[in-house]
Amino acid sequence: MNLIINGETHDMSVETIDEVVEHFGLQQGLVVAEVNGIVIERNEWENTTVTEGMRIELVHFVGGG
Amino acid sequence: MQKNLVIAGHELKSRLFLGTGRYPNPYIQNKAIEASETEVLTFAIRRVNLQDPHEDSILQHVGGRYFQFLPNTSGAKNAEEAIRIARLAKASGISDWIKVEISKNEKTLLPDPIETLKATEVLAKEGFVVLPYISDDPVICKKLEEAGAAAVMPGGSPIGTGLGILNPYNISLIVEELNVPVIVDAGLGSAADVTQAMELGADGVLLNTAIAKAKDPIAMAHSIKHAIQAGRLSYLAGRIPKKKYATASSPISSGI
Repeated sequence: MNLIINGETHDMSVETIDEVVEHFGLQQGLVVAEVNGIVIERNEWENTTVTEGMRIELVHFVGGG
Repeated sequence: MQKNLVIAGHELKSRLFLGTGRYPNPYIQNKAIEASETEVLTFAIRRVNLQDPHEDSILQHVGGRYFQFLPNTSGAKNAEEAIRIARLAKASGISDWIKVEISKNEKTLLPDPIETLKATEVLAKEGFVVLPYISDDPVICKKLEEAGAAAVMPGGSPIGTGLGILNPYNISLIVEELNVPVIVDAGLGSAADVTQAMELGADGVLLNTAIAKAKDPIAMAHSIKHAIQAGRLSYLAGRIPKKKYATASSPISSGI
């Protein structure tokens, strides 16, 4: 399935946001997920099914002032 | 005589807010944070680099002390983008504080006051503790307070310039007219600038580049900590008025 993650197309076989995060090995990090413009709380990741062409943003904290 | 700073019911022993960008390395950053005795750290929100997902997430470097985290909305060019970043930051679960920072002009990075006001209104209503970074204009600062800002953060001069406080008159007016805390953010370059901000009556300062890019960031962090204390005490002590001509400090009568 093609997903648009952080602006790039990724072809992967996953079913939920939880699996997307796991695919990139980000479970331990303080990552926030947004799907089609809506923030998905961490406890909802496993219940959020991904669909073809879904736009997903995975963001985290970096240094800044 | 010295009371602690309180923002949205949260008491802070230190009046320094410290940014986490541009340090030479994480070790020096941590040592500088420690030396500064700050309790509030700012961060930015960015996309995870999926080619290298394990590259620095800044929080993994910040040691075990307790901090109030103040994520910023840097990169936002309008209210809508800032609100989106604020919601993402809050969903991390680490903080409901947000520094609203909206700039369109990449050369000056000066804040867009109209978009900042819009974002502050929306986010304050949503329950965020909103600290907007804004121009040193007393009118817009007051409007931000009325819109629900928990503190207002006028810039001394553009971000990263180290030009200090370009309009001390405005900063003192802002301090006089606002009831919420005033944190001078951006442009401060040294201990002298920080002392001036505090002498003008600011409740605190937010620094990043001045410490991160100093030749010795750890020593500068020490210096800034003392500058805040010196400036605050001087403000509370009440300075003498400025006069054009001399007044002798030694008695003028009974000279030999």
